[in-house]
Amino acid sequence: MKERFAVRYYWHLVTLSLVVLFVLLILHVAVGTVAISPGDVIAALFNQPVTPFQHIIVWDLRLPRALIAIIAGAMFGLAGAILQTIMRNPLAEPEMTGATSGAVLFAVLWLSQGPGQLAQPGMVLPFVALLGGLAGGGLVYLLSWQGRNAPGRLVLTGILISSVLRSGTSIILLLRQDAIGSILIWLIGSLDGRVWVHWNVIWPWALIALPLGLACASLANVLQLGEASATSLGLSVTWARLSLFFVAVLLTASAVAVVGGITFLGLIAPHIARRIVGTDARRLFLFSMVLGAGILLAADTVTQVISQPVTMPVGAALALLGVPFFLYLVWRRSS
Amino acid sequence: MNRHSDNSSTHKTVLAAQTLSVGYGVRLIIPELSLHITMGTITALVGPNGSGKSTILKALAHLVTPKTGAVYLDGRVIASMSTREVARQLAILPQGPVSPEELTVGELVEQGRYPHAGPLRMLREQDHAAITEALAETNMIELRHRRLDSLSGGERQRAWIALALAQATPVLLLDEPTTFLDVGHQLEVLTLIQQLNRTQGKTIVLVLHDLNQAARFADRIIVLQAGRIVADGLPKAVLTTALLSEVFQVQAHIISHPVDGFPVCLPYAVGEA
Repeated sequence: MKERFAVRYYWHLVTLSLVVLFVLLILHVAVGTVAISPGDVIAALFNQPVTPFQHIIVWDLRLPRALIAIIAGAMFGLAGAILQTIMRNPLAEPEMTGATSGAVLFAVLWLSQGPGQLAQPGMVLPFVALLGGLAGGGLVYLLSWQGRNAPGRLVLTGILISSVLRSGTSIILLLRQDAIGSILIWLIGSLDGRVWVHWNVIWPWALIALPLGLACASLANVLQLGEASATSLGLSVTWARLSLFFVAVLLTASAVAVVGGITFLGLIAPHIARRIVGTDARRLFLFSMVLGAGILLAADTVTQVISQPVTMPVGAALALLGVPFFLYLVWRRSS
Repeated sequence: MNRHSDNSSTHKTVLAAQTLSVGYGVRLIIPELSLHITMGTITALVGPNGSGKSTILKALAHLVTPKTGAVYLDGRVIASMSTREVARQLAILPQGPVSPEELTVGELVEQGRYPHAGPLRMLREQDHAAITEALAETNMIELRHRRLDSLSGGERQRAWIALALAQATPVLLLDEPTTFLDVGHQLEVLTLIQQLNRTQGKTIVLVLHDLNQAARFADRIIVLQAGRIVADGLPKAVLTTALLSEVFQVQAHIISHPVDGFPVCLPYAVGEA
């Protein structure tokens, strides 16, 4: 029996996916209230002469948004792949770390309490959200720790803590109904109005956390054989699980901090990736990143096209897609 | 492995437990136990359900930490060694291991090189050689790219044994390697284990349910009851009607196998004689 096709030609596949990603990027930049032809987009990107108006739209408005979609999508994808591996559960997703709801709660607290902050979320908000994400993730890990750390307990604690944090967010929303609109968009997750300022917040974290996650792939491979086998292979299971969990929290928190609480992407991307390239984390992690980036970019393009004149947040679109997909997974596993 | 003369290594103790007691919480499973495993031998641990066979095996592999006493691997206290050092000397195949979905045989066996991997955990030439050798010994080369969940029980067990072989350790512990296998695959797995002992001189300790298989494949049988050793020695000396009645509460007849003379127990009634 031959090696599976996608494994044999893995690097060809990755290269091809990157080309597709580039095409998606061009399409994403081309689409919007003012349509620009793909040719003009490419011309503008490579600093060929286009009208100044088009140049401003491409460089100052749409390119940063597309780049943020790519990087945030990659972070959600990798975080999901890491969590599914350490929890040995293909239905795990970044939300279960408590990082998403923690980041959202802190951000909403900041938005509703800081006077005058609502109009200009700007630079400070992402850091507040990141802090909340790390706090949420840390809380889940500490509470699930009882001498040792079973994946099952981690999942349960994560779900419970996330619900508590989310209800905290709801209470704030009820108390500050005047601010509900702008908070809600952020809570669902959206790429609207993301420009270079936001890009500057997300890329340093991506630069740290993405390579860190990829470097943990062989740890993850050993870990997914189960606690006894992993220990007998010389892996310190507790330490490995903690580091991978921390990387996933860092990825989730910093992505949520810039694009909001986008869910289901971290579930879908690694799941499709696993169908294509298999369970070996060295391939799965990288491919989940590429798929996550592609899905978020494509979803944002589509929502921009279909949601004129009222903008639909991309997080809502992904949740609409994600829920049936999740049900399909549950159904497939049980049948 | 051994730098000294072969004569001294024939009776060398490679793995030992000294006044070991093991328990979970307040429940004591092994009250106090000492044993020595000789290099290059096959030892079978047998005993009724709940007699502490698996727990002893886990303690010997340092998967559980003893309450008191110590385990010595090659003369060193195992608790003082790093998990990676232990993993280069000793491999353990847990009972009924569960593999992640969609993992292939080759990908599983590759993980056996983890304790040997160099910087960046890249596989080097000697790693690929060890993987291929492990697959060849277990007759899994053809199945290398198959998914584990598509294999039969016997093939899957061979894949896990290949993982332990790729680890290239002088000591190999196996917890009921024949559970859930039909009689043909049971013999196949045990014959493979015996071959590894004979051709590579691996020291093997395995937990077995079937007394006749223990008698056939082990050099030494250790019988456990309630966490204590009640009999220890050559299969012929250990397997007696008195022992079967006392430890397993069965009345049995013991005969020599008509083909090759190994002891065979034939239980015929429950209860002490």
